[in-house]
Amino acid sequence: MMNSPGKNKELHDLLNTLLKESSARTVLLISKEGVCIDETGDTSYINTTALGALVAGMFSATREVARMVGEDQFSILLQQGEKRHIHVSLLAQSFMMVVIFEDLQAIGRVRYESNKVAEKVVHCLRRDPRDGGRDAEQLSVPDFREYALNLIDRIFHS
Amino acid sequence: MAYINYDNKEIAFKIVYFGPGMSGKTTNLLHVHKALTGHTRSEMVVLDTEEERTLFFDFIPLELGMVEGFALRFNLYTVPGQIHYEATRQLILEGADGVVFVADSRPTEGERNLESFRLMINNLLYYREDPTDFPLVLQYNKRDCERPISTNSIQNELKTGPITCTEAVATRGLGVMETLRDVSRMTVRRFQL
Ligand SMILES: Nc1nc2c(ncn2[C@@H]2O[C@H](COP(=O)(O)OP(=O)(O)O)[C@@H](O)[C@H]2O)c(=O)[nH]1
Repeated sequence: MMNSPGKNKELHDLLNTLLKESSARTVLLISKEGVCIDETGDTSYINTTALGALVAGMFSATREVARMVGEDQFSILLQQGEKRHIHVSLLAQSFMMVVIFEDLQAIGRVRYESNKVAEKVVHCLRRDPRDGGRDAEQLSVPDFREYALNLIDRIFHS
Repeated sequence: MAYINYDNKEIAFKIVYFGPGMSGKTTNLLHVHKALTGHTRSEMVVLDTEEERTLFFDFIPLELGMVEGFALRFNLYTVPGQIHYEATRQLILEGADGVVFVADSRPTEGERNLESFRLMINNLLYYREDPTDFPLVLQYNKRDCERPISTNSIQNELKTGPITCTEAVATRGLGVMETLRDVSRMTVRRFQL
C-alpha cells in the first residue's frame, strides 16, 4: 500500500463508519490537488496515487461543465460500471470523498451515508494545525527550504 | 499552493509541463521517470493511446525523501499530444506550484509556441497567479533540429522580461533534469506555510 492511513484517527474513524454503513468496498479522501489523504477498506486492487490524480482531474473537468450550464459546481459524481461503481462527493470545494461499491442497489445508502459524514469530515479537515496548533511549529520554513533545496540538487542532477 | 498534510506528514508540489502539442512534454516526463526509478511512487500514469491522445494528462508522482520530518513529493503533470480542446489544457494548471513551458525550437513552430505561451499566461491569471512572480522555466527543446530558434525569441516577441531558460534535447535526455531542478528550486524557494 502506498499511502499509509493518516494519523488523524477521528477522520479515519469517520471514513470507516461510511465504509461499513454503506457496505462499500473502498473509501478514499482526496485533496483538490489530487493527493490521497486517507483511505479505508480494500485498496489492494487500485493504485491510489494515480486514482487521486485522476479523480481530481475529473472534478475540475466537471466544474468547467457545470460553469457552462450556469452552475458553480456539481457536488456529486456517479460513475456506474459493470461490477463496481464510484460515488464522489465534493466537500467544502476542496476535498473529494470517493466511495467504491459493488451493489448498485446500495446507491441510495451510499449517498445517504456520504451526506451524513460529509459535514463531520469537513469539520475534521478544517481543524487545520496551521491555526495555531502545535504541529505547525514542527515545520520551520527556512530549514525546510534549505534541506529541500539540498535534496533537489542531489536527486535532480543529470 | 503546496499541499501539506500534517497527519501523513507530507508536502506535495505540483509541477506542470505546458506547451504546444508535440513539443516534447511527454518525452521530458518519460526521461525523468526512467532516470528516477527509485523515487517514483508508482508507474507513470499514461492515459493516452496511439489512437486516442485526448484524455486528461500524463502524470508521475516523485518521492524525494524526508525533509524536516515531512515526505517531500513532486507530482509532475502534462497534457500530451495535440489536444483540440483547450479547456483541458487550462484545467491542468489548477493548483500548480510551478510550470515548465516546453517550447519547440524548430523554426516552423514559432507561432505555435507564442500562442501556447499566451494561453499559459492567461490560464495563470485565471487561477489568480501573477505570471511575473510564478515559478516558471522556459525550456527550448529540440535543440538538435536545423536552425533552432533563438533562446530569446519568445521573451522578445512577447516582451515578457527575463525568464529562466534551459535548452534541451529531450529525446536524448539532455537538459531534462536541469529543467526539473530549476523549476523545483524556484518552487521550493517560494514555499510558505
Ligand atoms: N528531434 C527531437 N525530437 C524530439 C525531441 N523531444 C521530443 N521529440 C519528438 O517529438 C515528438 C512529440 O513528443 P512528445 O513528448 O510526445 O510531445 P508532447 O505532445 O509535448 O507530449 C515525439 O516524436 C518525440 O520523439 C527532441 O529534443 N528532439
